[in-house]
Amino acid sequence: MSSDRTGLPAAVWTVAMFQLDRLLTWPRLVMAAVGVVFPAGVMLAAGRAARGGLTSDVQVALLYALIPEAVCMLGLLVTMCPAVADELERGTWAHVATRPNGRRALLVGTWLAAVIWTGMAAIVATALALAVTTIERPVAVGAMFAALVALSCVGRAALFAIPAVVLPKRALVASVGVGLVVEYLAGTIPALVNQATVSLRLRSLLVDWMGWKRKLPTEMQLFIDPQPAWLHVLAVAVLTTVLLAVAVAILDRRQFPPSDEV
Amino acid sequence: MIALDHVTKLYGSVIGVNDVTVELGAGAHGLLGPNGAGKTTFLGLVTGQLRPTLGRVRVFGEQPFGNPRVLRRIGYCPAADLLDRTTTPREWVRYLVRLAGFSAAAALARADHALEQVGLTAAALRPLVTLSKGMRQRAKLAGAIAHDPDLVVLDEPFNGLDPVARHDLVTLVRGWATTRSLIVASHLLHEVESLDAGLAVILGGRLVASGGAAEIRGLVDALPGEVTIRCAEPRQFAELAFRIGGVEGVRIEGDAVIVATHRPVAFVEEAVVRALDEGLHLGEVMPADRSLEGIFGHLVRLHRGVKA
Repeated sequence: MSSDRTGLPAAVWTVAMFQLDRLLTWPRLVMAAVGVVFPAGVMLAAGRAARGGLTSDVQVALLYALIPEAVCMLGLLVTMCPAVADELERGTWAHVATRPNGRRALLVGTWLAAVIWTGMAAIVATALALAVTTIERPVAVGAMFAALVALSCVGRAALFAIPAVVLPKRALVASVGVGLVVEYLAGTIPALVNQATVSLRLRSLLVDWMGWKRKLPTEMQLFIDPQPAWLHVLAVAVLTTVLLAVAVAILDRRQFPPSDEV
Repeated sequence: MIALDHVTKLYGSVIGVNDVTVELGAGAHGLLGPNGAGKTTFLGLVTGQLRPTLGRVRVFGEQPFGNPRVLRRIGYCPAADLLDRTTTPREWVRYLVRLAGFSAAAALARADHALEQVGLTAAALRPLVTLSKGMRQRAKLAGAIAHDPDLVVLDEPFNGLDPVARHDLVTLVRGWATTRSLIVASHLLHEVESLDAGLAVILGGRLVASGGAAEIRGLVDALPGEVTIRCAEPRQFAELAFRIGGVEGVRIEGDAVIVATHRPVAFVEEAVVRALDEGLHLGEVMPADRSLEGIFGHLVRLHRGVKA
């Protein structure tokens, strides 16, 4: 037995690179290209449809709905949800599950690959969309969107890790349900429950960084949390850690009968 | 090395393995049984993919489920085909070696060495989907041995291979058995027999026989085979059959008389001559049924104490 052993972080990185390599297929690239171009197309169409053009703030709000919400959610659905199901279908689950820390590395590595792949696509989409809008201070807005995209990907990929390990064969449907119920229903309820959602943190950061707090009507203030930005970032980090830890704990205990594989 | 103590594995109401108690020491072992017998479940328990519902599994003295210390010492080649479309054998094996905890440079060197061992160097850079089943099988085997495990576990490693590839891989695997412990699961007796391994026979989730290859072969050879004779006068032929020595049983199905005997060739020679002498009209003589299902069926009856 050789002594040149590496640990879990190296295994996670290995899985992430392997999964990114697997994503480099024409169908996946075309899907990503559509995700990259679509927000710019919508922004162009909206700008032309509005009489006298859209204000910078309205364009930012629209871009927020399109990129950290729509593009990131859709990208993560197709990259994170099949984390386990793909391995079962490809006949690779047993190979990975019989490696030391293979299950953990698979889940966290796939999470990392999903974040990198979707994040990159969303950032390129942001750059393209900004190029076709009349948003003021586009570089600063672009940097803000990069941060929102990063938080959206990190937190929501961890959220989708739960259905990926609990219901691997129905992960996509389950994740759409979880996304709608957790992020868009619970996330908009002005109560304690929305504190545990990424969408509340992203909305609050957008309002904070755009300086919209005083412009918001009183009733809209209910849908944001007026905490400092660092607290929102910390909340997403804690939420991500907890969700990933739960998903890892579940996958560590999962058993798939031989008939579940290919 | 491996100890199962009254192990039962249930999938809901379906039994995977049923009250199996066995100890396998270092060396080569064959696990023999027809499809659906519980071989893959047995291997799943040994390789830490499954937890027993009842009983205790120990591999290298520890329970293997999710245990990195044990998993580090195991190389597993599952029966399921590799369907990763774009990955090449080199990328695949390197990936597995990295997951076994080796550095990138060491993983590449080990992957290349393992692919060379299984004779896949020339196709190492072709996508798996473009390779034949035999080549993909070799890639799986390379992945199982590249990290130099103490125990190699192979589930139906020769499935779907042509005779030449099968012979090559049997030779290769037999070579591994000289340097490390090995478990090979198969539904073909001659495959595991050729590995000079101790054998365990599993059926319906139960371990029904174990011993050396010669013992299992002797057990199999001692089982009566079935000869089917189609005859226009089946009742008369059945009476004639009983008068011939060595017949274990006779049953009539329409115009077919099915005779169970330990010496089918001698029986056929004698029965045909006598039947013709007595003016019976024979239609067809089918050879003895030595199918694996039949053999396993007899082994189960032996296991339960029922006379074969």
